[in-house]
Amino acid sequence: MDKKHDHRAMFSSERGHDGLVERSRRIKMAAEMGLARSSRGRHWSRALHRRLLRRKGATRGGSCGCKDEALTSSKAVEELGVGENEDDAVEVEARVHALQRLVPGGEELSVERLFEETADYIEALQGQVSAMRALACLLDELERDKRVMGG
Amino acid sequence: MEKERFLSVDCKSRDMNSGAVADQLPRPFLDLSWEQPVHHGAQFESAISSLVSSPSSNPSAGNGSVVVRELIGRLGSICDSGEISQASCYRTPLDSPPKLTLPVLGHLQQGGGGLPMPGNEMADGQFTPFAANPGFTERAARSSCFGTWSYGGLGDQSGLPEAGNLSRVPRSHSLKSAGALRMGVLDSGKDASKSNPERIEMEMRSKLGGGMPPSSTSGRTMAGGAANNVSRRKAASKGRGKEAPLSCSNHLGLQAAEDEHPDVKRCKSAKNNGADKDSVVKQETEQNIGASQKKGKENNAKPPEPPKDYIHVRARRGQATDSHSLAERVRREKISKRMKLLQDLVPGCNKITGKAMMLDEIINYVQSLQRQVEFLSMKLATMNPQLDFDLETLLQESMHQEHEPLPQQLYPLEGTSAAFSYAQRPQGSPLQSAITNGLGVGQQPLCPFDGLADATSQLGNFWESDLQYVVHMGFGQSQGAEFFSQSLHAE
Repeated sequence: MDKKHDHRAMFSSERGHDGLVERSRRIKMAAEMGLARSSRGRHWSRALHRRLLRRKGATRGGSCGCKDEALTSSKAVEELGVGENEDDAVEVEARVHALQRLVPGGEELSVERLFEETADYIEALQGQVSAMRALACLLDELERDKRVMGG
Repeated sequence: MEKERFLSVDCKSRDMNSGAVADQLPRPFLDLSWEQPVHHGAQFESAISSLVSSPSSNPSAGNGSVVVRELIGRLGSICDSGEISQASCYRTPLDSPPKLTLPVLGHLQQGGGGLPMPGNEMADGQFTPFAANPGFTERAARSSCFGTWSYGGLGDQSGLPEAGNLSRVPRSHSLKSAGALRMGVLDSGKDASKSNPERIEMEMRSKLGGGMPPSSTSGRTMAGGAANNVSRRKAASKGRGKEAPLSCSNHLGLQAAEDEHPDVKRCKSAKNNGADKDSVVKQETEQNIGASQKKGKENNAKPPEPPKDYIHVRARRGQATDSHSLAERVRREKISKRMKLLQDLVPGCNKITGKAMMLDEIINYVQSLQRQVEFLSMKLATMNPQLDFDLETLLQESMHQEHEPLPQQLYPLEGTSAAFSYAQRPQGSPLQSAITNGLGVGQQPLCPFDGLADATSQLGNFWESDLQYVVHMGFGQSQGAEFFSQSLHAE
C-alpha cells in the first residue's frame, strides 16, 4: 500500500530535533486523515481526504454527491440576503470566500451548503482538538509518572 | 379578498389530495351566511368552525379530511390569536385594490408552521357566500391571478397588479386545489348540490357553452380555468406528479403553478388577453373535462401525494411575492437557519448579530480550531522525540484487523509514537494495533482519565509499559477493549 510505504518512509526519516517539525506535520496529517475518515459522508471530509492523499502523492478519485451546489459568489451573497448595503454585501462576500477557503472543499459549495459543511467541520475539529488534547495530557501525565517512577 | 389570496397563497397541498377534499368542502360552506364580503375575525372563526365540522361529513375525503380537520383546528387557534389583524385586513379589500397582505398568513407562519390547507379551506369557506355577491367573481378572478385564471371580460384590472403579486410559489397542487375549490364554490353559489368534481365540471362546461355575460364570463372563465386546473392537477397527480403540462396555459395564464417564473407574466398577459382567450379556455376546458372526469375518480381515490420536490412558501405581509423574490427568500431563510446552527456551535456568538460579524466569528473559530490542531500536533511531536518501534509490522497488523484500523492507523500511529517509544521491548503487534485502534477511536470526546483508572485496576502489571495500555484503555474504551482482548488472546 502506498500509504504504508509513505508512512514508513516518513517515520524512518525523522529522528532528532530536525524532525520535530516534520513529525508534527505528520502528526497533523494523521490527525487530519483521521478527521477525514471519521466523517466519510461529508463533503469537506472527502475533500480533505483528497487533499491529504494528493499531498502524499497518491491520486484518488472521489465522487461527491453534491450537485447543483456551486453558485457564483455574487449570487451566493445575494442569497445571503444582504441587500441593504453595497459595502455590507462586499464584506459578507469576502467573509464567505474566506470561509470557503478554510473549509476543505468549500470553494465549490453554495452558501447554504457551505454553512452546513462548516457546522459539521467545526464539530469534527472540536472532536479532534479534544482528542489530541486528551492524548497530549495523557502522555504528559504518563511522562511525568514515568519520570517520577524513575522509569 | 385577503382570504382569497390567503387561499391561493397559502396552499400547501402536500397534506391533502386537494381535489378529494376540496370537492367535499364546498358543500358545508353553503351553510355560511355572509352579509358582506368583509369578514371580521368572528365571522372568520365561525367559518373555521364550520369548516372544522364539515370535513366530518365528507367520508370520501378520507385522508384529507383528517388532515383538514387538524389543519383547520390549528388554523382556528391561530385565528384566535390573529383575530384583530385579520379583521383589519379583511376590511380593506373592498375599499382598495386588495394587496397581497397576508396577516393571517403571517400568523399562520408564526403559529402554525405548516398550515397549508387550512387557509385554503377556510378561505374557500368564505368564498361560497361570495358567490352570491356579484362582485365575487370579479374579486375571485382578481385573487386568482396567481396564474390560474384568465380574466376574460374583467373590466376592473385593479386587482390584477397585486394579484400579480400573489405568491406564486404555491405549486400545482395548491393551485389546483384552489381552482377546484373555486370551481366548487362557484357552482355551489349557483347550484348548491354539487358534490363531485365531475358534475361541477360538467356544469361549467354547460355554462361555458352558453352565453357569457361579462361578469359571469370572468366567473366562468375562472371556472373553466378551475376545471382546467383541476383536470390538470388530476392529470399531473396521475401521470407526472406535479409537472402536468399546460400547453396552452402560457398565454392564457391558466398555468397550473408548476412554474414559478412565468406566473407574473401569465397573470398579466391573461389580464390583457382575457377577452380573446375565453373561447380558447372553453375549448381547453371541454377537452380537459373528459379526461379529468376519468381521472377525477382515480384522483380522489389516490392518497395525497406529498409534493416533496416543491418548496411551498407563503408570502409575508408587505413583501414582494413574485417568484424570484420568493425563491430567494426561501434560500435566505435556509441560510439564516444554518447560520443559527453555526451560531450555536461557535461559542460566544449569541450576542453577535449581523451576518458579517457572525461570519467573522465563525471564521475565527474555524481558524482557531485548525491552529489548535496544529499546535497540539506539534506538542505531541515534542512529547517523545524517539521512536523505536517497528512501524511496518504495526501497519501490517492493523491492516489485518477489522476495517476500522485502516482508516485510523495513521492518526493513532502518529499520536502513539510517544507511547510506543516507552515500550521496553517491542510489544506484540496485535497489541500495538489494538492500541492503535483504540486511539483511533478518539474522535469523540474522551475521558482518558477514567479509562486510566479502569485500566490500572484491571490490567495491573500485565503490560510492561503502563503507558501503552493506559493510553489504549483511555482512548478506545469500547472498541479498544475488544481489540485489546483479541490481542491478549493472540499473544
